[in-house]
Amino acid sequence: MTYKRKKYHHGDTHLKKRWRVRNRKKDLDQIDDDIKEENADKLLNQSVDLDLPGAAQHYCIHCARYFIDDQALNEHFKTKVHKRRLKALELEPYTIEESERAAGFGNFKLPSKRKITTQNTAKSDADGDAIIDEISPSKKVKVSENDP
Amino acid sequence: MRIETCYFCSSRIYPGHGIQFVRNDCKIFRFCRSKCHAAFKKKKNPRKTKWTKAYRKTAGKELAIDPSFEFEKRRNAPVKYSRELWTKTIEAMKKVEEIRQRRSNNYIMQRLRKGREVEWQRDVREVQRDISLIKSPAAGLKQRQLAEETEMEIEPETIEVVDAKGRKQVIEAPVMVPATGDMIEDGGDIEL
Repeated sequence: MTYKRKKYHHGDTHLKKRWRVRNRKKDLDQIDDDIKEENADKLLNQSVDLDLPGAAQHYCIHCARYFIDDQALNEHFKTKVHKRRLKALELEPYTIEESERAAGFGNFKLPSKRKITTQNTAKSDADGDAIIDEISPSKKVKVSENDP
Repeated sequence: MRIETCYFCSSRIYPGHGIQFVRNDCKIFRFCRSKCHAAFKKKKNPRKTKWTKAYRKTAGKELAIDPSFEFEKRRNAPVKYSRELWTKTIEAMKKVEEIRQRRSNNYIMQRLRKGREVEWQRDVREVQRDISLIKSPAAGLKQRQLAEETEMEIEPETIEVVDAKGRKQVIEAPVMVPATGDMIEDGGDIEL
């Protein structure tokens, strides 16, 4: 008689933990709600919470993630994960209301497309308008060389 | 008791069926069967899953916008029972359902008619391409050659052209050959 394995799920705790409900991240429709201006302001300017990474001071609103410092956040903006998330949010996410509309409760609305851009972390000027410097450091050097 | 709708496939969920998931923001996601629940857990997009109502409506497979969809609603205020209202409502429901069915069937038929048109165009194109199978290209070749010979004898037309520098030139007009529709440009070269 052959020996039958008794433990099939030995050592897969790390796999299970990932799928625990408590490890669920925000869904796209929740993030869609966060993007709205009144909610976004609150999320981007959170009060210090020492339990969260970076005391909740560096938050990516589209990915619903906290980062430890500004550099990590800016690095994150350049990643595929973040860009993919922006792309996914371009089309209005599917909601419970839409599932009801599809079932015939009211007219079905086609999801609209919009432009999603990464949040602005740059310092704002006196009026509160954001300053975006698009010029990369290498270009700046060139300009300074040419000017004198 | 209510007949709920499935979050994923938008089908009806009768009491005692399915499973529901309550997200930590109190939103209730109801699923008609384990198939839909599993698809949700895998984060599948119902708009891109072909067997869901959401897909069929976004892709324009089914009637999506119609006034007949406005009758069915979730009404949270209870209505005091009256026999007259009850019977009238039942009558209206039947009528609305009948109209809705007719319109959606009509929509699908209209959609399919388009395919028939495309099919017809494809057939025409096929015949034009493979006409040689029906009629030999050699049929009437001698007569065509004769006609060509007589055409060749006709002097090509000449036209006066003023070029960009204001010089006048006389060139032969390009000859159109009706059989192929190609432009033969002989004498088009301008010697300066």
